[in-house]
Amino acid sequence: MSHSGRREPTASLSLLDATMVGIGAMIGAGIFVLTGLAVDISGPAAIVAFALNGGVTTFTALSYAELAAAIPRNGGGYAYVREVFSAPVSFVMGWTRWFTYMIAGSLYALGFASNFIEWGHLYGIELPGPAVGYALFAVAALVTLNALSTEASGKGETVITLVKIAILGVFVAFGLTAARTGEFRPLFSKGALSVLPAMGLTFIAFQGYDLIATVTEEVENPRVNIPRAIILSVVVTVIVYLLVVFVAIGTLGAEALGGAGETAIAQAAEGFMPRFPVIGTGASLIAFGAVFSTISALNAVVIGSSRVAFAMGREGQLPARLGRFHHRYGTPLAAIAASAVLMLVAVVVVPIRVVGNLASLFSLLGFVVVNLALIRLRSQQPDLQRPFEVPFYPVTPILGIVCNLLLGLFIDPFTWALALGWLAFGGVVYLVWSRRRERPRDEAEAAEIQAPEPIASAEEGDD
Amino acid sequence: MNSTPDTDTDTDVQDLRVILAGGGEMGVRTAELLTDRGHDVVIVEADAERCRELTDAYLATVIEGDAARPETLRQAQPRRSDVVAALTDDETTNFAVCMAAQRMAPEVRTVMRVTATPDELYEEYVDGLVFPERLGARAATNEIAGGGVRTIEDVAGDVEIVEIEITEAAPVAGKRLDEVRLPRGTLIIVDYQGNRLGGPDTVLEVGHRYVVAVESDVADEVMNLMRG
Repeated sequence: MSHSGRREPTASLSLLDATMVGIGAMIGAGIFVLTGLAVDISGPAAIVAFALNGGVTTFTALSYAELAAAIPRNGGGYAYVREVFSAPVSFVMGWTRWFTYMIAGSLYALGFASNFIEWGHLYGIELPGPAVGYALFAVAALVTLNALSTEASGKGETVITLVKIAILGVFVAFGLTAARTGEFRPLFSKGALSVLPAMGLTFIAFQGYDLIATVTEEVENPRVNIPRAIILSVVVTVIVYLLVVFVAIGTLGAEALGGAGETAIAQAAEGFMPRFPVIGTGASLIAFGAVFSTISALNAVVIGSSRVAFAMGREGQLPARLGRFHHRYGTPLAAIAASAVLMLVAVVVVPIRVVGNLASLFSLLGFVVVNLALIRLRSQQPDLQRPFEVPFYPVTPILGIVCNLLLGLFIDPFTWALALGWLAFGGVVYLVWSRRRERPRDEAEAAEIQAPEPIASAEEGDD
Repeated sequence: MNSTPDTDTDTDVQDLRVILAGGGEMGVRTAELLTDRGHDVVIVEADAERCRELTDAYLATVIEGDAARPETLRQAQPRRSDVVAALTDDETTNFAVCMAAQRMAPEVRTVMRVTATPDELYEEYVDGLVFPERLGARAATNEIAGGGVRTIEDVAGDVEIVEIEITEAAPVAGKRLDEVRLPRGTLIIVDYQGNRLGGPDTVLEVGHRYVVAVESDVADEVMNLMRG
């Protein structure tokens, strides 16, 4: 039986593996899908947006590193916030994290669909039907895979990530010779302030390192390796992003890149990549990379979203049914199914740019709360053992909060309205649910102090 | 395991938040078992060196300090916890931790480790008592006395549950239960195949093991009958 609470005596993930979990979730979908849209907003200055986002993310990544090293809990950011704040705050955190993963899933599914069609197009195959159909199919397939077995979906992450990095490496290697710095003049062709909305849109590409926090129990020498893996994965990702964006803008030019939307990277590759044997043009290699990356990122968020719903179910903040494994498949089936429904709805209903903004906004808000949790934990629990400490405390987390809030302000009002709508819906769920379970568990248990110990044989299958 | 998920499982599906005062061998083993079952554990430990080992083990959140000091115990957040278990090797410290925890969080369940014969009045103050020396003595007796008889569980008070193998020399060997007279205070719970409760037609066969509940004042007599 696969059990998330089970601690295996053999820690199986090395520093490399753990770092790859973080990189795998970040590199890929965001860079392939969002680069074109960001360039459309801010011109060549999109590269500045990516660089600044890297800086902003680092502040929060440091906070994550401190919390993950000190608090051995499954559930990532939600678990840390649950440790520090009252029930309503942690509910908001869990509720927005859950939504972020689902909405990111929808973003990756849509990105997969356009790149898949583009890929076929490069081979001269016109794929029938609307892109949404392929996106829906991808979500359905991965959800089914995850619902049936956790084993099948969790393996091979390191290999998949290395393939992604290799493909982008080829792109950068050829592109650096072809890129013209002239394309970056003028840098702020759409005004310096246009960088901010571009940052807001692409911020989602920088979230995902927190997935490391969900596999902490399997990492070797976790006290040291978890903080390292988190910081390393952010640094590597930012470097790769900057190189890729530099090459894309430097070769295709901001104008054309902005027009290409979510297949921008593949179109940039078409201009300078040589033909490869078997694969065909360089563009098809990149399109393949995009298809591959979006699928693996989609898989990561399907797992991530179901874990958050599962953790909330265990904590009694959502119906307990979500926090239970299915008796036949041994997976958190209810949590996966609930996440799948929203992902499918978002794929059909919400346009891709709004999806990107929504996902970014919620991860910004989530990161604000994580930084607050760090500050509050320092003052509430000064004697807590912290194997890793954020440097320059309290400047670093405060900068994290300020930058995240600032970026949030530059996301358009329509996105804010949708976000507030989801929060309001969450508030209703919370009120209804907390009223239903008004009888606190402690009272019920205190009544039977002398309850006999469970028999040894009944210990294993606890749910 | 429950067939009616929505009504009665609110309490048992949730993971407990447990504070363990004392990160010695006993605290660590307890933390291991609890985290294996999916519960969240916070360990409060006074020794700095030991704290480093505990953080390396990555089993639980570790707070360095003396749990009997309210300032330290408060950092572990009893109000947000389900159970506070004081497992240090000092009985008075453990009692102080439980009392302080109850004062901070009246709802919290308290479990304390006793190191000498338990004071009967403890039960008025704490919800559960752990007496590792007694459990250790049981294990030691099982090992020392060797096969044949094995104590499985001390229930409450004077009843002991033991597993007994019938020897050839046993007076009751080969007899049906309704042919023999075991002393009052003896109950054969499970027959040798482990799949049926003992009844009048249970045969006590040589070389087979039976799970028997026995009151301590007749234990000697029962051993004589079943072991010879």
